[in-house]
Amino acid sequence: MFNFLSKKLRSWQQQNQNINKENKENDNSKKTKENSQAKLSSNLKENLDSIKAILGVCEDLIIREFAFGNKGQISAAIIFIDGMVDRTLINDNIIKPLMYDNRFICEEESLEIKNIDIIKGTILYVGEIEKSTTINDLVESCLSGDTILLIEKAKEALVISSRGWETRGVVDPETETIVRGPREGFTENLRTNTTLLRRKIKSPDFMLEAMKIGRKTNTAISIAYLKGVANPEVIEEAKRRLKRIDTDGILESGYIEGFIEDAPLSIFSTIGNSEKPDTVAGKILEGRVAVLVDGTPFVLTFPMVFIEGFQSAEDYYSRPYYASLVRVIRFIAFAISILAPSSYVAATTFHQELIPTPLLFTVAASSEGTPFPAVVEVLAMGVIFEILREAGIRLPRPVGQAISIVGALVIGESAVSAGLIGGIVVIVIALTAVASFVVPAQTDSGAILRVILVILAGSMGGVGIMVGLIGILIHLASLRSFGTPYLSPLAPLSPFDLKDVFFRVPIWAMLTRPKSIVRQNIQRQKFILKPTPPPEKKDKGGSK
Amino acid sequence: MKIEKGVISSSQLTFMIIGFLQASNLLLVFSSRIVNHDSWLAILVGLVISIPIALSYAALAKEFSGKTLIQISDIIYGAYLGKMISVSYILIFLLTFSIDLRLFSDFLITYIMPETPIWAILTLLTFLSAWAVRGGIEVIARCSFIIIAMASIIILSTFVFLLSDMEFSNFLPVFDLPLKDFIQGTHINVSLYYLEIIIFLMIMAFVNKTEQVRGSMLWGLILGGVSLLILEVRNVAVLGIVSNILTSPSFNAVRYISVAEVFTRLEMFVVIMLITTVFLKVSIMYYATVLGLAQTLHLRSYLPLVTPIGIITISLCIISGDSSMELLHGGMYIWPVFILPIQLFPVLSLFIVKLRKKSKKLGANEE
Amino acid sequence: MRNRKIIVSIIICILLTLSISGCWNRRELNTFSILMGMGIDKAEEVGKVQLTAQIINVSELKQGGSSNKEAYLAVRSTGDTVFDALRNFTKESNRKIYLPHNKVLILGEDIATEGVQKYIDFFVRDHEMRLRESVLVAKGKAEEILNVKSELEKIPAAGISSLLKSQNATSEATDVDMKDFISRLMSKTTAPIAPLIEISGEEEKKVLRISGMAIFKQDKWVGELEGSKARGILWVIDKIESGIIVVDCPNEEGKMSLEIIRASSKITPELKGDKVSIKVEIKEEGHIGDQECPCELKSHDISSIEKMKTTVIRAEVISALEKARELNTDIFGFGDSVHQKYPKQWKDIESSWDEVFPEIEVEIVVDAKVRRSGILIMPASS
Repeated sequence: MFNFLSKKLRSWQQQNQNINKENKENDNSKKTKENSQAKLSSNLKENLDSIKAILGVCEDLIIREFAFGNKGQISAAIIFIDGMVDRTLINDNIIKPLMYDNRFICEEESLEIKNIDIIKGTILYVGEIEKSTTINDLVESCLSGDTILLIEKAKEALVISSRGWETRGVVDPETETIVRGPREGFTENLRTNTTLLRRKIKSPDFMLEAMKIGRKTNTAISIAYLKGVANPEVIEEAKRRLKRIDTDGILESGYIEGFIEDAPLSIFSTIGNSEKPDTVAGKILEGRVAVLVDGTPFVLTFPMVFIEGFQSAEDYYSRPYYASLVRVIRFIAFAISILAPSSYVAATTFHQELIPTPLLFTVAASSEGTPFPAVVEVLAMGVIFEILREAGIRLPRPVGQAISIVGALVIGESAVSAGLIGGIVVIVIALTAVASFVVPAQTDSGAILRVILVILAGSMGGVGIMVGLIGILIHLASLRSFGTPYLSPLAPLSPFDLKDVFFRVPIWAMLTRPKSIVRQNIQRQKFILKPTPPPEKKDKGGSK
Repeated sequence: MKIEKGVISSSQLTFMIIGFLQASNLLLVFSSRIVNHDSWLAILVGLVISIPIALSYAALAKEFSGKTLIQISDIIYGAYLGKMISVSYILIFLLTFSIDLRLFSDFLITYIMPETPIWAILTLLTFLSAWAVRGGIEVIARCSFIIIAMASIIILSTFVFLLSDMEFSNFLPVFDLPLKDFIQGTHINVSLYYLEIIIFLMIMAFVNKTEQVRGSMLWGLILGGVSLLILEVRNVAVLGIVSNILTSPSFNAVRYISVAEVFTRLEMFVVIMLITTVFLKVSIMYYATVLGLAQTLHLRSYLPLVTPIGIITISLCIISGDSSMELLHGGMYIWPVFILPIQLFPVLSLFIVKLRKKSKKLGANEE
Repeated sequence: MRNRKIIVSIIICILLTLSISGCWNRRELNTFSILMGMGIDKAEEVGKVQLTAQIINVSELKQGGSSNKEAYLAVRSTGDTVFDALRNFTKESNRKIYLPHNKVLILGEDIATEGVQKYIDFFVRDHEMRLRESVLVAKGKAEEILNVKSELEKIPAAGISSLLKSQNATSEATDVDMKDFISRLMSKTTAPIAPLIEISGEEEKKVLRISGMAIFKQDKWVGELEGSKARGILWVIDKIESGIIVVDCPNEEGKMSLEIIRASSKITPELKGDKVSIKVEIKEEGHIGDQECPCELKSHDISSIEKMKTTVIRAEVISALEKARELNTDIFGFGDSVHQKYPKQWKDIESSWDEVFPEIEVEIVVDAKVRRSGILIMPASS
């Protein structure tokens, strides 16, 4: 059956590939015919017509024709997309200087061939201006928010950076809230995001490489890393995988993740993401590579290891003892979140001898008279919980409260008092639910593991759970993220990296970057940085 | 043409050996049937005897670094004789592998799930090991640290929990048995688990630093032997004379834990420890068998062999004994005698190699 | 790659069949009844065993004390062997009996006098049994014991179990679990002991009471020790937890009670030629619990109190020893201690231990101390 499915899948894929190829060829051929060869002519009207022909009847395309020079002899046109540009910049810094510049008001002769360079070099008050000669380029940059200045008799056009659109400000990230630490979060704007990172790492080694992905969306992405620290192989591999992507659109970094991850069929994600600049900066300093995608506040970081999900930026801001305690609690919570329901099933249906006698009485009394076996109870409650969770996320806020009341009261309380399910099951599921949110990075994989383990526990008891856990261990051990074993630094063991796994050593003792990720420049800080009392002064007698 | 591309570190080799020996928990019963409360002595003496042999294994591996046992015997004994020897190695691997699996399934059936048919448990365990084996030596090696860390924590904590129930007079009188019995018990220990590390001659070839193999072999053997010793001391000290009549003293000793009536009923930890370490041991042996067979047959990959060998193993497990009594008899009187010559064979190989080298040197000098 | 897919599909099929046809050992909580106490008697029919099981009525336990039904049921069944009888419960009860939570195993008087060997094997062999349950010997039938209600506990077996634990307040009986019982039974010389339980009181107000320790010879119950004589055994085998020793006041009329705080003992055998002698060293420490006489105790008085305490302890040990000699059973484990110290000579002694044991010279060395006098310096009555 499986075989059949996979065959189907493969042939379908092949068909798709063929179609894609044809599409691509069509696209390319059209482009080559119409645009790439099409250079700007010296006739302004012709140029405008050919741009109009491509952008068609877009209502947000604005073409402003005007003339300048002391007699208005130079006609020109400004083209931009409404809403994507900064209007004041166009008015004050492009049109105004052109019309009011004294060189144009006074008579000046040599405004013929070189005028493009003069305008670019001496007149416009804009930071970033480029010259371009092909219509294709012009259209592309126009669509990404630049303003195009076409001038009569010039075979070149100016692409003036005037991007400015409504953006969300830098606000608290919603997914990773903290008590102590910076509160800013990434936004949807790529430039803002790179700025947030650049402001943290002010070093010439901090590299940002731009790339555009998506045939239709032309999404800008940028690869950030620390030169001399990040493993060059990882950077190369990342670029190779990113260049491979040939799709019509990238709407979120999740698309990129899906295209470049190592284990696409695994339930564990091998690429991390974060919404917080300080977290990403920390990862870059540890030698990881980050990919910022325009249009989403979620930045990808890799290589990712399993224990990364258990680390939080705040661990490094609070004192080491408490941070270590919290670390351990996160591991326990993760264990509870995947093991509690299955252990309950195994203990109550297979291994009742493991439950202490008084507890067994309570459990037995609560499940006395309930109609379903424990596996069904637990699975049903698990599904109900997931439904409630999903409803809580999707529903508009005001209705959400009603849902939680319905969920908690009707399904929890009434189901128990009606004798449908045992009270202990509700407690187990509630505990699981709470625990599953302690480790956000593994919440989704945890939900799947939980179901698998419950089914195994229901059929084989504790042995089933162990079989499931060993299976998970094998799977985790065989995963790699950009060459780094997923379970490192535990397996393969690198003892020095254990400083940041189950406990976090003080900052001054974190001498090295993780060895499994970084191959060069491994030393992070000076060796002796432990705070010591100031050296005693020599004149001991001078107490007065 | 290299079948296995993976590379493991010498510390991973140590962990694998420790886990390999910790999994032999269930095999302790065979010798303690004979030597009774002196079994700790038999374990200790067995360890001391095994160390030089294990070191000679390491020396052989160093002599032919990057070569597995099968390739080594091909080189030393030539194509035909070498193949015969290789086949006998592989057969031994396969048999030990299936007997270990069978013993563990028997344990599970006896203590936890008496109504479950044995094939179901065997299939599950073999499937797990096959999964790991398909992942290659790196995956098995990576699993090893987590498994032995967990097993060691369980061994030590159960020892501590049982301290108050221990009666050390149970070990008296020391050496209260005929020398003949003691030698037999030690022999069982040596050949049933200590020298089973012959299987690591198939794996040492993939260690990245060959000069460290010797050390990791030694440490693995010592730490593994010590953990067995701790287990046996715990069992005898707690259960005393009763431990001689139980099929798994470990399980019953841990079952006996009652610290302030809060830490009770901890026997599941024994099962967790056993199931993980046995998984590790079985995967290593499975891997060695499959790899050895592939090298003997000059295959390009061992992957096609994994499923057939797995099915053969399951059948071997089922037919290896009708009852647990039969297995006990076989483990005490037949298997150790049968297996020891093969385990000592690499020592002979090393001897031959050294002799040849010397004679070559002499020959060169004479010329 | 293709190969892999085939294997994966096979494995998935296996897993599916496993999860569908699996569940071999599955039992929901409401399909069995939890056993808390078990009693073995001889059935009226010759050669058969009668088991009495105290099982939990879970639904009663749930409602608390509201209903007047009991939270337990005592059911009985008979069979050719213990296991047979256990399975015969299902003829009358719809729920199978679940053993692992068993707290007490009570051996009926008739079983104990006949020999427990053949009945006890099941309780060690079965995988559901643990070695922690307490073993007791009933005066009379075990069934009757299990039918007596407990005043404070909902479940009588739990009551018996905690009754045994509370015995360490007097140390005149001690809890013997299955492991101890079995290892003494398996030893060639040491004889098992077990606490004795009996019913006292009238028809309506029946109470259970631990009356002392039962002494076995091999696997047969041959005698019993009560009160301070029973404590005599415990002094030697180092099972004293606490207790009261009553002595006379040193100078005046009246009595004093001394509380035992900690005690330890050591058995040292000695072999001279063929003659075995044993030295038992007992160390004890205690406090003054109460004092009838109004005098103030001086430090030299304390030493005389200690002397009196020593005498009491010695007397207790000697009385237990005499009983053991009389019955000729080695309840103290002297044989094992000789074996441990003189393994070579032991082989000659072992076969004739029954003759040797009554003749053993036992030297008792008691070192008793009074450490503190409670929170008073002077007696309250002075």
